[in-house]
Amino acid sequence: MLKNNLILRNPLRLTGHETEDIIPEGGFGAVLARAGVGKTAFLVQLALNSLLRDNKVLHVSLNDPVKKVCLWYEEVLRNIANQYNVKQIDQLWETILPNRFIMTFKVEGFSVPKLEERLTDLTEQDIFFPRMILVDGFPFDEIARKSLSDLKTLAQNNSIRVWFAVRTHRHEKPGIDGMPPPFLAVADLFEVALQLQPVEKEIRVRALKGETAPADHPVLILDPSTMLIKDKSGATSL
Amino acid sequence: MKYDVRKVRNIGISAHIDAGKTTLTERILYYTRRIHTIHDVKGKDGVGATMDFMELEKERGITIASAATYCEWQDHEINIIDTPGHVDFTIEVERSLRVLDGGILVLCSVGGVQSQSITVDQQMARYKVPCIAFINKCDRSGANPFRVIDQLKEKLGHNAVTIHIPIGLEADFNGVVDLVAMKAIYFDGDNGEHVRIEDIPEDLFSEATQRREELIDEASMFSDELTEAALENKVTEDLLVQAIRKATLTREMTPVLMGSAYKNKGIQPILDAVTKLLPCPSDVENQALDPDSNDAPVTLFSDPEKPVVSLAFKLEDGPYGQLTYIRVYQGTLAKGCSIVNVRTGKKLKVGRVVRMHAHQMEDIEVMPAGYIGALFGIDCASGDTFVAPGIGLSMISMHVPDPVISLAIAPKDNKGEVNMAKALARFTKEDPTFKAYVSDETGDTIISGMGELHLEVYVERMRREYNAEVTTGMPRVAYRETITRMAEFDYIHKKQTGGAGQFGRVAGYMEPITEADFEFENKVTGGAIPTQFISSCEKGFKKCLTKGPKMEFPITGIKVVINDGASHSVDSSDMAFQAAARGAFLQGYARAKPVIHEPIMKVVVETPIEFQGPVMGSLNQRRGMIVGTQEEGRMSVIEVQVPLAEMFGYSTVLRSATQGMAQFTMEFATYRQVPKGITDELVKKAAEEKRNVA
Repeated sequence: MLKNNLILRNPLRLTGHETEDIIPEGGFGAVLARAGVGKTAFLVQLALNSLLRDNKVLHVSLNDPVKKVCLWYEEVLRNIANQYNVKQIDQLWETILPNRFIMTFKVEGFSVPKLEERLTDLTEQDIFFPRMILVDGFPFDEIARKSLSDLKTLAQNNSIRVWFAVRTHRHEKPGIDGMPPPFLAVADLFEVALQLQPVEKEIRVRALKGETAPADHPVLILDPSTMLIKDKSGATSL
Repeated sequence: MKYDVRKVRNIGISAHIDAGKTTLTERILYYTRRIHTIHDVKGKDGVGATMDFMELEKERGITIASAATYCEWQDHEINIIDTPGHVDFTIEVERSLRVLDGGILVLCSVGGVQSQSITVDQQMARYKVPCIAFINKCDRSGANPFRVIDQLKEKLGHNAVTIHIPIGLEADFNGVVDLVAMKAIYFDGDNGEHVRIEDIPEDLFSEATQRREELIDEASMFSDELTEAALENKVTEDLLVQAIRKATLTREMTPVLMGSAYKNKGIQPILDAVTKLLPCPSDVENQALDPDSNDAPVTLFSDPEKPVVSLAFKLEDGPYGQLTYIRVYQGTLAKGCSIVNVRTGKKLKVGRVVRMHAHQMEDIEVMPAGYIGALFGIDCASGDTFVAPGIGLSMISMHVPDPVISLAIAPKDNKGEVNMAKALARFTKEDPTFKAYVSDETGDTIISGMGELHLEVYVERMRREYNAEVTTGMPRVAYRETITRMAEFDYIHKKQTGGAGQFGRVAGYMEPITEADFEFENKVTGGAIPTQFISSCEKGFKKCLTKGPKMEFPITGIKVVINDGASHSVDSSDMAFQAAARGAFLQGYARAKPVIHEPIMKVVVETPIEFQGPVMGSLNQRRGMIVGTQEEGRMSVIEVQVPLAEMFGYSTVLRSATQGMAQFTMEFATYRQVPKGITDELVKKAAEEKRNVA
């Protein structure tokens, strides 16, 4: 019941996409923002949204150790629990935990074949079949295209949705469609790109690519105090 | 006894099991004339190596307790701690490294860098112990010392630079070329005691020249003088040694030596390297903590005149009482002087001061800073700091890993019971990683330690040293019962079978809680249950908690609220209400959907990446829930939550799945509901046990 309630209240439903997964199977999604704006918190909420619907999520972090990634999940879930006055957070946690798998790599040690190998380790032994992969800390540099293309093939072959956190920089001028340069070069591989943009005291979630919400839909924002996604009216993510 | 701290070396010999540490130590003692015959670890003469003095060690050919010994070489005094190689005895290695100034990392020229080499290397790094590497077993088939050097660089991140090249390999191995002196060294005589120095064989000359160039290149990074001399082609042996020493002391270079301890080749050069390249106690900065100024670090000086600061790093109970191995960091410990145990604040008088040579000892009068020795008749625990009266310094506490495995033991007879208690008291005092306690829940004596072999060794020691025959079993996992939903109860206890009757009615509800094991709340109004019987009800409920109705496991996480009841002016009593509460509990409990909970352990496995798949598979088979994997260089750290019940015997499984290259730690994480299938199995097992008892 608790899970269902949270799923129904999910403001991500308001992004105007047909499914709550936002991107299709085998598709790529990106969350773009400058450092410290809330990319990881956003990804974690996407993950929780999926986990609550009993979908398995693989969180790949190229920045943080497993312990820190776990803390992100605990923190976001705690904030959600506070927001909705959910008391049995432990119970909720226990039910979603088996559906989450964290893998961390050093940036320089990460490659798509390596990820594929690890994934095979998991799937062949029937340990874990992810339906969604989050990649945090992937370097969007000049040579990223090859890796991303390989990853896209991997995602399509396994019907996995993949979300990336893309770090943008203040000094980089956005190109057409408002997309920042490092991402622009690979934007065609992505079905959806959402940008987190600080506007005065709030952080707005703006769609750079993919379907946008109809005009009558409320604007999505990221609450800077809890890093939770809300619509303008105040409904929080999940 | 001479006291020149610059000529003292406190060294440890660490390596993977079977790399040949004990054999190497035996040879060192032979060449330094501390012993007069060589006994091999698994020798046919049945004597065993000198350092492996425990019966068990001789039998198994492994070194269990680190024995401290002392020898002299080229006017230098060398204290050697022979350290165990097996991963289960890591605490011994850790303790030794805490008190050592330098180390010899022994590697097998065939096996190369193995998992335990990685562990001991990490430990050496933690205590910043400079080391030299010795590639042993160059006579073995498949020996490839240069591959091991590459592994030292790649796997351990050492700046490994060879100062030897082998003359022949495998069966043809008969000496080494010293790249510093540019001479060939051969070892003649029955036991290799005669060192013969000759010119480098022609076929090796160009290789030796090239490798010497590499050595000079590396060493000159640490010495401007050497760089200049190299440019002018005037490198002297002395300059080169000084530069290598400088780099070794800061752990920026690991000089590599080669040989075969078993074949008595290449041992004397190690002793030379120990005296020339490893630090003396005054080269190493040691720090103590000052508890009076918020544990601020205080640097100690290897000055025998300063107030004494020393650390008890190992205890042994011998026939003449407790022997305390001690390292003096500052000042001098002398027979008859007073010292204070910082932990207890007790003042003690130093009785006998001895220097250890395996199990024999030699009385000495004083032990100055930098020395390692042993004291008699001092009551203390491992890791205690002893200081001169008036000094409140404490040595930094040693890193003690938590035990990862436990086992239930029971004495076979009455005599065994007394002896077992004695043995456990001693072992737990000697070894901080070995713990013994009586389980509240099962009443069994449980021993816990760093691995199955660790516990096995203690069980055997109990048998041999204390004549305590014990039986061991699989420890019973501490399961628990709890309820999952609120349930009401309303129970009347009525008994009228002659004599005084019994009457009590208890009504209310029970619900699950997470904050406490048990809570009781009285919401009875209007005196439905007289006040004096409320505590009887609580008592009755509490009594039900020790053995759950479902599986007889203790019940936790339950709140009982009573809100109604009835009493009888004559027939109600304390006993009647206790019985009524018991009845009410059973009634409510059955309706509250009871479940079994089991302890879940957080297991962290460190494995080379190539074994990550099999390791995850093995954990998955054990109902493990993998939280995450973390790749760190060539190693992968897998964090997983596994039920304790599934972890017995895992060390063996892990070892065989990873060729002994992975290790794991385990600690309690939480209690979680046992899956239905497993509960059914438990019920079946319990029923079987009951039947067997009946």
